[in-house]
Amino acid sequence: MVTNKYDAIVIGAGHNGLVAATYMAKSGLKVLVVERREIVGGAAVTEQIFPGFDFDTGAHRVGSLHPNLANDLALKRHGVKIVEADPTVFSPSLDERHLLLWRDSRQSVEELRKLSKADAEAWVPFQRLILKAARLLQAVGLVTPPDVTASDARDLWTMLKLGARLRGLGKRDMVEVMRIIPMSVSELLDDWFESDVLKGTLAASGITGMFQGPMASGTVHTFLYHHAGYDAGVIRPTTRVQGGVGTLTEALASAAKEHGVLIRSGRAVERVMVKEGRAVGVVLENGEEIGARRVVSNADPRRTFMSLVDTVHLSPEFVRKVRNMRFKGVCAKVHLVLGELPKFNGVPEGSLHLNGIVSISPSLEYLERAYDDAKYGEPSQRPYLEISIPSVTDPSMSRAVGHAVSILAQYAPYQLKEGTWDSDRRDALGDTVVQTLAEYAPNVRSTVLQRHVMTPFDIEETYGLTEGNIYHGEVTLDQLFFMRPVPGYARYRTPIEGLYLCGAGTHPGGGVTGVPGYNAAREIMRDERDQKLAKRSVTSVKQK
Amino acid sequence: MVDGLARNRDKGPLTMVANQYDAIVIGGGHNGLVNAAYLARAGKNVVVLEKRHVLGGAAVTEEIFPGFKYSVCSYVVSLLRPEIIRELNLPRHGLEILPLESTMTPLLEGGYLARWADHDQTRRELYRHSPKDADAYDDFSKLMYQLAVAVKPILSMVPPNPTSFHPRDLLGFAKLAKHFRGLGAEQFHELYKLMTMSAADYLDEWFETEALKATMSASGIIGTFLGPRSPGTAYVLLHHYMGEIDGAMRAWGFARGGTGAVSESIASAARSFGAEIRTEAGVTQVIVKNGKVTGVALENGDEVHAPIVVSALDPKRTFLGLLEEKHLPSDFVQTIQRFKIRGSSGKVNLSLSELPDFTCLPGVGPHLRGAISISPTVEYLERAYDEAKYGAFSRRPYMDIIIPSMIDPGMAPPGKHVMSIFVQYAPSDLNGGWDDSKREAFGDAVIDTLARFAPNLPGAILHRQVLTPWDIDRVMGLTQGNIFHGELTLHQLFCMRPAVGWADFTTPLAGYYQCGSGTHPGGGITGASGRMAALKVLKDRSW
Repeated sequence: MVTNKYDAIVIGAGHNGLVAATYMAKSGLKVLVVERREIVGGAAVTEQIFPGFDFDTGAHRVGSLHPNLANDLALKRHGVKIVEADPTVFSPSLDERHLLLWRDSRQSVEELRKLSKADAEAWVPFQRLILKAARLLQAVGLVTPPDVTASDARDLWTMLKLGARLRGLGKRDMVEVMRIIPMSVSELLDDWFESDVLKGTLAASGITGMFQGPMASGTVHTFLYHHAGYDAGVIRPTTRVQGGVGTLTEALASAAKEHGVLIRSGRAVERVMVKEGRAVGVVLENGEEIGARRVVSNADPRRTFMSLVDTVHLSPEFVRKVRNMRFKGVCAKVHLVLGELPKFNGVPEGSLHLNGIVSISPSLEYLERAYDDAKYGEPSQRPYLEISIPSVTDPSMSRAVGHAVSILAQYAPYQLKEGTWDSDRRDALGDTVVQTLAEYAPNVRSTVLQRHVMTPFDIEETYGLTEGNIYHGEVTLDQLFFMRPVPGYARYRTPIEGLYLCGAGTHPGGGVTGVPGYNAAREIMRDERDQKLAKRSVTSVKQK
Repeated sequence: MVDGLARNRDKGPLTMVANQYDAIVIGGGHNGLVNAAYLARAGKNVVVLEKRHVLGGAAVTEEIFPGFKYSVCSYVVSLLRPEIIRELNLPRHGLEILPLESTMTPLLEGGYLARWADHDQTRRELYRHSPKDADAYDDFSKLMYQLAVAVKPILSMVPPNPTSFHPRDLLGFAKLAKHFRGLGAEQFHELYKLMTMSAADYLDEWFETEALKATMSASGIIGTFLGPRSPGTAYVLLHHYMGEIDGAMRAWGFARGGTGAVSESIASAARSFGAEIRTEAGVTQVIVKNGKVTGVALENGDEVHAPIVVSALDPKRTFLGLLEEKHLPSDFVQTIQRFKIRGSSGKVNLSLSELPDFTCLPGVGPHLRGAISISPTVEYLERAYDEAKYGAFSRRPYMDIIIPSMIDPGMAPPGKHVMSIFVQYAPSDLNGGWDDSKREAFGDAVIDTLARFAPNLPGAILHRQVLTPWDIDRVMGLTQGNIFHGELTLHQLFCMRPAVGWADFTTPLAGYYQCGSGTHPGGGITGASGRMAALKVLKDRSW
């Protein structure tokens, strides 16, 4: 006989799981978080892969973190020091017409003058439009997606509020925002700019983590989504945490504990216990059963419903929807220890270009061709690279001689046309990435001391992300808002009563935002209140 | 003309002036003609001004070579709105639509996949390739049919303006919301998926047979500068279940006498209502006096006057070609400049001494009376698209082929045949630009590809006409050769077509209207834009 030791059990101590747990505990629930790995943080962790070198092995930026959370959970007090790198992004090109963007748009305009007068002119109005659109998405992110076909008063109210907000942009901007959201980034950027490296580098944030090229409709949404976080307003911000992303999730964990959340790491959940169509707890791999009134899964939807829950509890239609949800991971992580920093042709000594992200994205065509390879099941011969060298601004990351370099490489399709991601493939991928970088910074070839490669397959194995998709499911137009994770179940609840989702597979989606966790906790507390009211009315009836 | 004068007489002195009309329609394409027909039907004195010697715009039949009649551009009919056929009584004006029986797809490794008019036969054929798909196909068709029914009303609805608080617009959106909620969750979500997904991704959820997925997704890329894996291509799958011929849903048809016969029947209907139609009367400019249109100037220097001018041309030509910028708000001009109108398709028309003999299905058979689709796999189509993305035409293009002379023997001399080949991709902005030699190279690529499936074809060719986007632009007057007057991407549909606030067929210029495919609902021989624009004009003006 299992007793309800907890009000809620959260499966997985990813950042969203921790956020959900903390907000539930803040509202008085007794919460347990169970994490498979020894460390908390999910795909937002810092690990010492090589002695003396710390790497953000998953996400290496936190620019999407919702500003409210940092304050709500007093993350500063828990040791989070946000580092806003400046310049934000450096993008080399083979003709040495490099791009450098700064937090201060005036500085960016100066830089852009070197590439194109017209682009320099267009920069400020472009940034203004992006900011407006991003702020709108930020507001949409905090909304529980309405049930479109049977909206209750609350839904209608939220939709009206969003509608008002949209109109609040003013006629001209409202029209423009509506127009651009479903566009492809290449269409948008061709409307605004002419220099290839600028267009490529901006477009890159529209395809990050997507099995799509810059010419695909909807990539503008992805671009805006990546600008709707902590740093809304800065284009391609590079926002890190002192000591690595892991510091953030550790801070979230300590905030959780402070509110009475119990965290058990190194404990994998075998499955969710379901009795009479209701989730009543979890069974751990070691057979231990833990009862709870509610179970909240931070795992992605595919994993939650296809492996943690016995599908006999689900309708065939629902199972089909979950199977149809597209994951299609495309990202690889390459971690290098370099003896010396990369030297880019034509960059003066002592320049600050390595402070932020180094983006290998010389043109829209470069990115599209990289996608073409992946489309037919091959890793990109010349991939898009997002390179982060935190030790440049944060020496604590590299305590030995050398520099820890974290590289997100795209595209590396999870499904290969031939064969699987074996060690040969893994090494070949590592070689491609180093060679690609070396084309721009030749010294890299000879200064690699250590190399660690994570294919989409490894990412799936390590973090439990289905098909290695870093967003818990593609963030495409058809898998957004009331369609996320699957149509009809976008409100953090599931067909199984008492079972909830709080991961990036729910609205608004992936990235280190914390918003899905926050929204899920809000919905769970709504159900708590509704049940209390129901109980009370029942008892009051009895008394009469 | 006489008819026109007769009408003028009871219209007071003003209209007695020569070249003075109630309304001018620029362009004698099918939408322009429909527009004129409806205006004339309402008793207005209308003139249609067509640049070419022949009516129909891109819906035209021409006897390029003696005895061989080509549907030069558009070659099938399906989406022509039934209310137009009815209200203009087109059959009485000679419109006769012959059904296209089937679709046959030759496979790369030999063999074929066919879908026939007869349901059971199709089912048996699909079963041959995949029992699973044979079953899925029925459910799929049922769903598509239901969704098509749900979408149809929207095709003949004037899009409301999202930026206006006018009761008419608010009501419009309320109606729309009600309509969609009426669908119920399942259908609404499917419709939303169709609007946002790629045809290939959507079909992957249903089918496993490559050729089936490829041939169906091919319909999603026709006329677009997108590949089957590009989001937004799934929606067009619906169109194949929207067609309505003699009340029978989802049939594609061929007009007896070629597509030009459709335009001719509309023109004849228009004339019967008293509309005047002038050919070889190209408009060079729309005349504006103190913020109002007052008429148009013709290539021959003449002026034609009317308080209403309706343009059936595409948005680029309508606003940037015929008008000086100063007459339009700068925001609007920028929006039209940014309107996406890349052309992606070409056309090859052949005169044949004998029928093509397909290796996969030898001899003469029913498959030659239907469509033949060169779309063996999704990857084949996607690779064809890849070439176009970087400014080259596809070496191994997608082709949608029909043999009109098999359906209407009158299209070719006895014993001879004509073949209509729609080809993708041929990018309008070809690297280095199009010229005569590149046009022929393009034509060669088409014949060469086709010869792999029907080896006798090259030897059977008597005449060959090749149209690139460049030719379609210069000859038919479709900017960049885009057959839809502007790409049918999400951000250029419904209330955003061609620009937010101007999707109700009006323009920022008083008296100036638009009725081409650059407005809602977009391309294809629907006539919907022409009709809705006419009704809008009549509603706005109380003559």
